[in-house]
Amino acid sequence: MGTFIVRRLIASVFLLVVVAAVTFAIFFLLPRLAGQTTYGLAIQYVGRTPTRSEVLTVEQQLGLNRPLYLQFGNFLKAIVVGKHYTAGPNTVYCPPPCLGYSFKNQLPVWPQMVSDIPVTLSLAIGASIIWLVSGVAIGVLSALKRGTIFDRFSMGVALAGVSLPIFFTGLILLEVFVYRWPILPAPTFVPFTQNPWQWAENLILPWITLAFLYSALYARLTRAGMLETMSEDYIRTARAKGLSERTVITRHGMRAALTPIVTIFGMDLGLLLGGAVITEYTFGLHGLGLFTIEAIQNQDLPEILGVTMLAAFFIVIANLFVDILYAYIDPRVRH
Amino acid sequence: MAAPLEMTSESAAPEAILEGVGGQAIEGRSLGKIAWLRLKRDKVAIGGGIFILFLIVVAIVGPFLVQNPNIYHPNLINPTLSRPNGTLGGVSLAHPLGVEPVTGRDMLARVVNGARVSLLIAFLATALAVGIGTVMGVVAGYSGGWIDTIIARLMDIFLAFPLLVFAIAPFGLSGNGLRISLLIFIIGFFAWPYMGRIIRGQTLSLREREFVDAARSLGARGPYILFRELLPNLWGPILVYATLLIPTNILFEAALSYLGVGIIPPQPTWGGMLSDAVTNGFYQIDPMYMIIPGFAIFLTVLAFNLFGDGLRDALDPRSSR
Amino acid sequence: MGLAAFGAVATLALAACGGGSTSSAPTTHAGFNAATSSVVNPSTHKGGTITFNLTTWEDSMDPGGTYYASNWNFTRYYATPLMTYASCVGSCGSKLIPALAAKPGVSSNNNTVWTYTIKSGMKFSDGQPITSADVKYAVMRTFAKEVLPAGPVYFQTLLAGNAASYKGPYKNKGVDLTSVTTPNSTTVVFHLNKPFADFNYVAAIPQTAPVPQNKDTGSTYQLHPVSSGPYEVQSATLNKQFVLVPNPNWNPALDPAVHQLASKIILNINPNANDIDNRLIAGDIQMDMAGTGVQSAARAKILTNNTLKQSSDNPITGFMWFIYINQQVAPLNNIHCRMAIEFAANKTTLQDAYGGPYQGSVATTAMPPTVIGYSKFDLYNAGSHPSGDIASAKNQLKLCGQPNGFTTGMAYRSDRPRDTAAAQALQASLATAGIHLQLKGFPSGTYYSTFAGVPTYNKTHGIGLATGGWGPDWPDAYGWGWALFDGQSIGTAGNTNIGMLNDPAINKLFLNLESATTASAQASISGQIDMAVMKQATFLPAVYSKALLYRSPALTNVMVQPTFGMYNYGTLGTK
Repeated sequence: MGTFIVRRLIASVFLLVVVAAVTFAIFFLLPRLAGQTTYGLAIQYVGRTPTRSEVLTVEQQLGLNRPLYLQFGNFLKAIVVGKHYTAGPNTVYCPPPCLGYSFKNQLPVWPQMVSDIPVTLSLAIGASIIWLVSGVAIGVLSALKRGTIFDRFSMGVALAGVSLPIFFTGLILLEVFVYRWPILPAPTFVPFTQNPWQWAENLILPWITLAFLYSALYARLTRAGMLETMSEDYIRTARAKGLSERTVITRHGMRAALTPIVTIFGMDLGLLLGGAVITEYTFGLHGLGLFTIEAIQNQDLPEILGVTMLAAFFIVIANLFVDILYAYIDPRVRH
Repeated sequence: MAAPLEMTSESAAPEAILEGVGGQAIEGRSLGKIAWLRLKRDKVAIGGGIFILFLIVVAIVGPFLVQNPNIYHPNLINPTLSRPNGTLGGVSLAHPLGVEPVTGRDMLARVVNGARVSLLIAFLATALAVGIGTVMGVVAGYSGGWIDTIIARLMDIFLAFPLLVFAIAPFGLSGNGLRISLLIFIIGFFAWPYMGRIIRGQTLSLREREFVDAARSLGARGPYILFRELLPNLWGPILVYATLLIPTNILFEAALSYLGVGIIPPQPTWGGMLSDAVTNGFYQIDPMYMIIPGFAIFLTVLAFNLFGDGLRDALDPRSSR
Repeated sequence: MGLAAFGAVATLALAACGGGSTSSAPTTHAGFNAATSSVVNPSTHKGGTITFNLTTWEDSMDPGGTYYASNWNFTRYYATPLMTYASCVGSCGSKLIPALAAKPGVSSNNNTVWTYTIKSGMKFSDGQPITSADVKYAVMRTFAKEVLPAGPVYFQTLLAGNAASYKGPYKNKGVDLTSVTTPNSTTVVFHLNKPFADFNYVAAIPQTAPVPQNKDTGSTYQLHPVSSGPYEVQSATLNKQFVLVPNPNWNPALDPAVHQLASKIILNINPNANDIDNRLIAGDIQMDMAGTGVQSAARAKILTNNTLKQSSDNPITGFMWFIYINQQVAPLNNIHCRMAIEFAANKTTLQDAYGGPYQGSVATTAMPPTVIGYSKFDLYNAGSHPSGDIASAKNQLKLCGQPNGFTTGMAYRSDRPRDTAAAQALQASLATAGIHLQLKGFPSGTYYSTFAGVPTYNKTHGIGLATGGWGPDWPDAYGWGWALFDGQSIGTAGNTNIGMLNDPAINKLFLNLESATTASAQASISGQIDMAVMKQATFLPAVYSKALLYRSPALTNVMVQPTFGMYNYGTLGTK
């Protein structure tokens, strides 16, 4: 198990470098291949009304005229060591991890993202716990009580959850619980360290919105998985051995049924950590999703690059975690 | 209600043996045939399937049967409130589903025309993702070794990228044809690892099972095992997830419309109409503008899910039906 | 000067300004449009928090680098320019009064030299006295376009001396801007390169608000500016939040236009415009800082609910929404093809697209009614043919050699719902005349800098039409139209003269306008410019914009400031 973990860790670091390379290629190489000049590329990084001299400055700052491998090397170096940018009266130091400098906002990218991370983390982790527990529980119960009213009803609700758009659910919840009957406050983010109760109070609606969708999916998947597993021979064997039904279900049934759940949970959580765009927009929470949208709308390439790298980082970490968990659950995988 | 000769995956080969016996041969049924018989009996699934066929017909033929979706009818709108006059969003004989707020364009025409684009993107992108994902996942899971490692790393790389950012890239392109193709390609290309990972995981678990050993000991080789042994056991997750990918893709297009990089107007899409209704707040003054495309998406999802469930139950060798 | 009344505590509501306009008696009743003609909820009550919401961090909160009317309004909380507009309603609010200056600028040498004297006793929030050097430095840093890219460029174009080659205090460290002199610590003199009678308007731009050089941090200055107004910045997070608290070193007697009532002012960025409306109506926040009005859903809610309607106002904003017709893209180089578009456009559906009659009235001129010199005329039959004059359009098409119509591209801002709706409406209406538009959407953040505002881009991509919106920098034809219609304003990027109008006669008229000294001369020349521009058909007016503003009942001293076309933020307090 230990060697497996080490191997996967090394692979993850390598993966991050590859991801950095691909991102870099997309933002810096592809446009060049499509015929864009370094000047034209620099224009996209500069502020709103670019004059020729500014564009040339940016071009030089980003080193767009240097050979590509040098550019990429600098890019990686900046992430680890930091970089200096000249703008205005003084030189700005972009501390590591320097994921770029936004010439439009005249600020390094990473510090702008830092305050968004707790919001997205709170949103994603809170919702994921809710959906994992509720989804799996409902799925297991439905599978065990196959054909009963409970099964049909819960799968019906799950169907609705899966086909209703997130913003629809979010809007309904807002309309009912905040504006019609003001039970909850209009959501703003209160850090956990400041006031845990308010933190949860403001996040409960976004959590439910997100969790509803995923919970439905997980319930259906769990149910399908359980149904398959519970009809396996080894389950009959376990029962014949005299094990209690509960042990049969949890130790033998669920373990096998949950392997696909673990896989997608990692992917889902990883993706969400990159920002739950629609939920954040609906509830006005400043997380990485909103940051991404603003970066895209402002066509701020350094910020888009920065948030892409950060999101990729989270996804890689989440998948690493999942792989390790998967190997723990299913030893056959540890080849 | 099992067929007399229920095929289990543990006994793939006996079909051949039974055929060999002369006389009143018990006709061995292929898995496909059995599945079809089972499916026919599942009314709900058939219902879903019929609706899907109906949707396809609407998408292909519908636009020729309805009025022009781009004609403005400002006289049907209350300009102060920007909402349609009359009830239910301006329902009338001329406009059976009412009209759009602000413009007065016919909703029925827009929904039918929207079906074409939304379904095209959803179907093709899903098919691409599921196709690539399944093949890669099965190959990776079964082969093991360096093939598996390469494919798994490839999946990791694709998974690491936020799809949204890349879907934005082609915004500079004009022409809906090109945009739609590129969108299908990008969605399919970035969604396949999601499927691939699940299938790979399932395959990894399955390949150590006894029936695979049994088939191998009977002389079966790689491809046979892959497609006749493993694949039937993978239908479950494939179908459940595929039927979920379709509405996800419709809604993904809605997200792009919200960001202003979706399909170029005035071409309607379900996602675009929904996004317009939601983000511009029209749902508060003309709920039908949101309910109609929302309901269309909901029915589509429902149909796919029910049909998918039925298909999975029908194909599942161990199902009690 | 009747404006001293603002200093008196009891009569805050009175607007007995010079200028001869009738003042309204103080009222305390709410009512639809009450704030356009009176001050609603006049009060001197101190304390409370005012929460603003805004969909996006506009330009910059640095008074030296912003072009948004809402920012010119809001920055008065912490940046006091030399001159400002009187805080009163109606035409009274278009008058300039001295703010940082002791009196309006004194001109000499045929309006080429303007001298301002700073009031004595003015201090920064850190206790340091405000000197003329601080005003001069504020002007100098506006030349640094690499740090303050947004913001008007009047100083660059009007100042004499070395202004033409000056690059700002960061690039040209230690270099003096000779066009601005400071003979003593309270006097600042501007030397212009041509006569300019409107210079007091230029002095009212936030760019003249003093900035101490030793505290300037360039691009991050906007997050902690040194305040010269009633409030100072307590904390600021870019794109998220901006918090103001009272400035202890501010003297209310010296600054009549703004008040220091609330004990905290918070600005939160919330990209969801509909959510902002919901929160506003529910009372969770008190003001939408954009000041351009509520979205369609809230509009319907407000107009159909009498209680809500009594708490709303529908002022004319002074803005216009329009479509540029680019004469450099064939076949629009032929004036008759352009006139075909003007005739064919369906102004009714355009008005609907921009939000109906409460969001604007149909426009037929190149200047809005709020600009001095406006007169109503209608060259292209919008009045007689509200759905478009297709017959005349077809005639024009024959005259320009395209009897079956033609195809061209149209740019619009895809993240603005009104732009998107307008583009589609125009597309549908022109199609009936045979003119086919290919719509191309671009994000608003780079619309002017990288796409529609780059003439070579339009030419290469066949973009003949582009949506636009504009508000005047000050209420005369120069402040309105120079950047839109003068040939000299055409830029290689960030161009606002997208019609590429460079007509020698019109350019000459602008020159005459700059040197005009009487109001009637200005009005006459402005009218001629208007007519000439419309005859050239490079400008398709859509609506004279109005806004439906919701007035939170929790606020006091609410009035519509005509020059900004929205509520005056400087006077607000809470109940």
